[in-house]
Amino acid sequence: MSTTATSRRRRLAAVVAPVAAAALLLTGCNANERANDAAASASPTAVERGGTLRILTSATSVNWDPAMSQSLAITSLGLVERRLTAWKTDAEGNTTVVPDLATDTGTPSEDGKTWTFTLKDGLAFEDGTPITSADVKYSVERSFAPELSGGLSYHKSLLEGAEDYTGPYQGQELDSIETPDDKTIVFHLNSAYGDWPWIVSMPAFSAVPQGKDDPATYSTQPVATGPYRVAETVEGTSITLERNPEWDADTDEARAAGPDSIVFELGQDATVAAQRLIADSGEDQNAFGANFVPAAQLAQVQGGPAADRLVTSGPGALAYLAINTQAAGLDDVDVRKAISLAVDRNAYRVASGGEIAGDFASTLITPGIPGREEYETLFDDVEPSGDPEQAQQLLAGAGWDGRELRFVVKDDEASLAQAQAIQQGLQRAGLKVAIEPQADEVYTQTVTQGDGSGYDLTLGSWQPDFPSANGNIQPLFASSQIGGGGYNLARYSNPEVDDLIAQATAETDPEKAGTIWSQADRTIAADAPVVPLIYTKNSFLHGSKVVNFRIPDFPAYPNYLQTSLEQ
Amino acid sequence: MSLERSDELAAPGGTVGSTAAPGVPGGAPGRRSGRPALWRRLAADRFAFAGAVVVALYVVLALLAPLITRALGVDPYTYDLDALGPSGAPAGAFGGISAEHWFGVEPLTGRDLFAIVLMGSRTSLLVGLGATAVSVLVGTLLGLAAGYFGGWADWVVARSIDVLIGLPALIFMIAVGAVAPAWFPRTLLLVLVIGLFGWSSIARVVRGQTLALRNAGFVRASRALGASHAHVLGRQILPNLAATIVVFTTIAVPGAIGSEAALSFLGVGVPPPTPSWGRSIGNAVTWFSVDPMYLVFPGVALFGITLAFNALGDGLRDALDPRTAALGPGGRGWARRRQRRAERDARRQAGHDRKEVAA
Repeated sequence: MSTTATSRRRRLAAVVAPVAAAALLLTGCNANERANDAAASASPTAVERGGTLRILTSATSVNWDPAMSQSLAITSLGLVERRLTAWKTDAEGNTTVVPDLATDTGTPSEDGKTWTFTLKDGLAFEDGTPITSADVKYSVERSFAPELSGGLSYHKSLLEGAEDYTGPYQGQELDSIETPDDKTIVFHLNSAYGDWPWIVSMPAFSAVPQGKDDPATYSTQPVATGPYRVAETVEGTSITLERNPEWDADTDEARAAGPDSIVFELGQDATVAAQRLIADSGEDQNAFGANFVPAAQLAQVQGGPAADRLVTSGPGALAYLAINTQAAGLDDVDVRKAISLAVDRNAYRVASGGEIAGDFASTLITPGIPGREEYETLFDDVEPSGDPEQAQQLLAGAGWDGRELRFVVKDDEASLAQAQAIQQGLQRAGLKVAIEPQADEVYTQTVTQGDGSGYDLTLGSWQPDFPSANGNIQPLFASSQIGGGGYNLARYSNPEVDDLIAQATAETDPEKAGTIWSQADRTIAADAPVVPLIYTKNSFLHGSKVVNFRIPDFPAYPNYLQTSLEQ
Repeated sequence: MSLERSDELAAPGGTVGSTAAPGVPGGAPGRRSGRPALWRRLAADRFAFAGAVVVALYVVLALLAPLITRALGVDPYTYDLDALGPSGAPAGAFGGISAEHWFGVEPLTGRDLFAIVLMGSRTSLLVGLGATAVSVLVGTLLGLAAGYFGGWADWVVARSIDVLIGLPALIFMIAVGAVAPAWFPRTLLLVLVIGLFGWSSIARVVRGQTLALRNAGFVRASRALGASHAHVLGRQILPNLAATIVVFTTIAVPGAIGSEAALSFLGVGVPPPTPSWGRSIGNAVTWFSVDPMYLVFPGVALFGITLAFNALGDGLRDALDPRTAALGPGGRGWARRRQRRAERDARRQAGHDRKEVAA
């Protein structure tokens, strides 16, 4: 919920559906209709209004600054800040992109390089000031400021002439964003880009009034455009949201705004929060947990009385073991293949919570993403528990020197359990593995910054930020994402793949783009920079009075905007 | 001079009592002949004797742990996923206890809990004894130096002790554990960190007793005959401190074992998968409602060793205390301690009375 927490959690997240809907997904129900489907059924139950919704989270803060947040369109920030477009989820698990501040999801030019949006009439900030296209432009511009880092950056490489832009605080404007009048905003892109309506649902495409922007305090005191405003923040303890009187429900199809107020209870231990939700007493009946239910509580809930308040997603985010391809000896593809074969994926899944934790993974593009194609992988004829004998032969053939592999992981209980499962698998093939647990910040520094000399193996989990294979492949395997905060944890660099990514991104025909993405998927898999482990399923618990708490097929998160309370 | 002589006459009772230390026998003579009596007294204290037996048992089991696990065909590292249910919890009642897995299995891994608890005793005892050795060594040396030489040496040591006592040691240990480089052997780090934060109490006691012994007749005689400082410290003073050091060592061990468990519980102890009771307990807390046996076995193991060391330490202290010796053996340590405290208070009161009369 703070920038890092949200992004981390989302990366751990999966493409999701309520348990019942998971079967639909598996039988081919496409989660990610990207069409602007007006027929998508409306909220199935009438919204009940009133009450105080409580959100229990382990995060110790929520960073409300849209330029610094990686929050999904349907979670915390969506309650307070509207963007040009929003995500609407229905009871069947479909997620569609719908207009939010804008009247439609954008009009592309003939060549697909220019996108025009018109703002709705009657929109206002919480103080009553009308929202203009200049406020949106300013919000996008400030996301380029170096002092406001940490937000999603997809738009930064797409907007024309943005390479050297460093934000509006020194007085410069970004010329590729035009505001011909108060209602119209025009974006000029480097190349045609079909997923632009999804990009403008990201936090940076909110509206920020320039006169009220203090970069130092905006993260705790944002100017609300959504149904709620931040009323009270008790540092590290709680954040209380109350209704924003200027928000007009008629202009907003993505938000139900049921509860009268919403309280984030910060710094809650995930286990304790799960126990409270299982007990379901008092105020906790009006609460839900923002963290995944830990494995122990999952085992406790299954078959118990709280089972019907457990919401589990469909298979989604790819959990993988990243092999540092730049480390000594690991630049040999045979060694990486041997590691892939030696991994005990079954033990990993059990350590993650058993069958409810996910399905075994094969391709790098996750299920439900357009363009995904099954192909023959290394694992087709291998048991989920791996093939240590074959791995040993490969290692012998590659002349592996037998050095100890440094396996850097986060020092939380879940990661350590998973790391040990990987470690025991690799040891069966004679590989020496030392687990190095690191505190969160240190871990992120080690694996995403610098030259990567501090690790050989690490665990990752990734779900795209929007339903496109681009979000699966580019952040994890493009050579531009090595170090410098990027998530190419395998430090994988292949000019052929970089070329395919560039081609697919520029391709406006989704069919053709899908083919290229699938080709990139195969090319990468042949180099084995990562070992696909499982497509994770995420489980969340909610109190007995919480209704409309649903997880769509994409993303892996419950839709906070639709959640309301039984009255 | 007259004052010093009167001090000398009052020893051992008066001086020892005033340093708030456990009893130490007075002059060197007669100590060696007292040793059989010590064992007799210890053997007669059933609680302490049981403690000694349990400690011995733990040590033997820890030493033989690899042989035992090999004989049983289990080890703390091998996964047995067949012993788990679909949710990752142990299949079967009581945490999956079976003929194959005596204590059941660990959730999410299926590793044998008996092997984990047994091998975990090695970690606990190694760190516990190692850290205690470090603190006793450092504490004794600094206490001796401070008490014997006095002056600036005493000032520095006394202030260091004050600082160390005021320091929130656990927080510092966590911090050191978190920033230590990965290449540094973790077990050694724990031994050093726990040991170097734990020497203050023993240093204080050793310093107090050295202060008292420094002016004892046999020490002054030795000095007068031209003995070196090293000789006096090593041959005259240290032997007289041996009993105190033994008692303190025994009492410090469970504290060090507890510190290791606490650090592992908090995730800054030995790295997984090295078995450690503290980490098992930390993991088991979240599993308690599903699989209570996962918490029970390592918990009881930790409880047993700390209780045994405490019982032994208490018994040793009583057995070595000349004043409780007068009371004769029998009864439990705590009862005798209470009696001793009452006795000391009475003596102190009597001293006050005497002084008042003298005034």
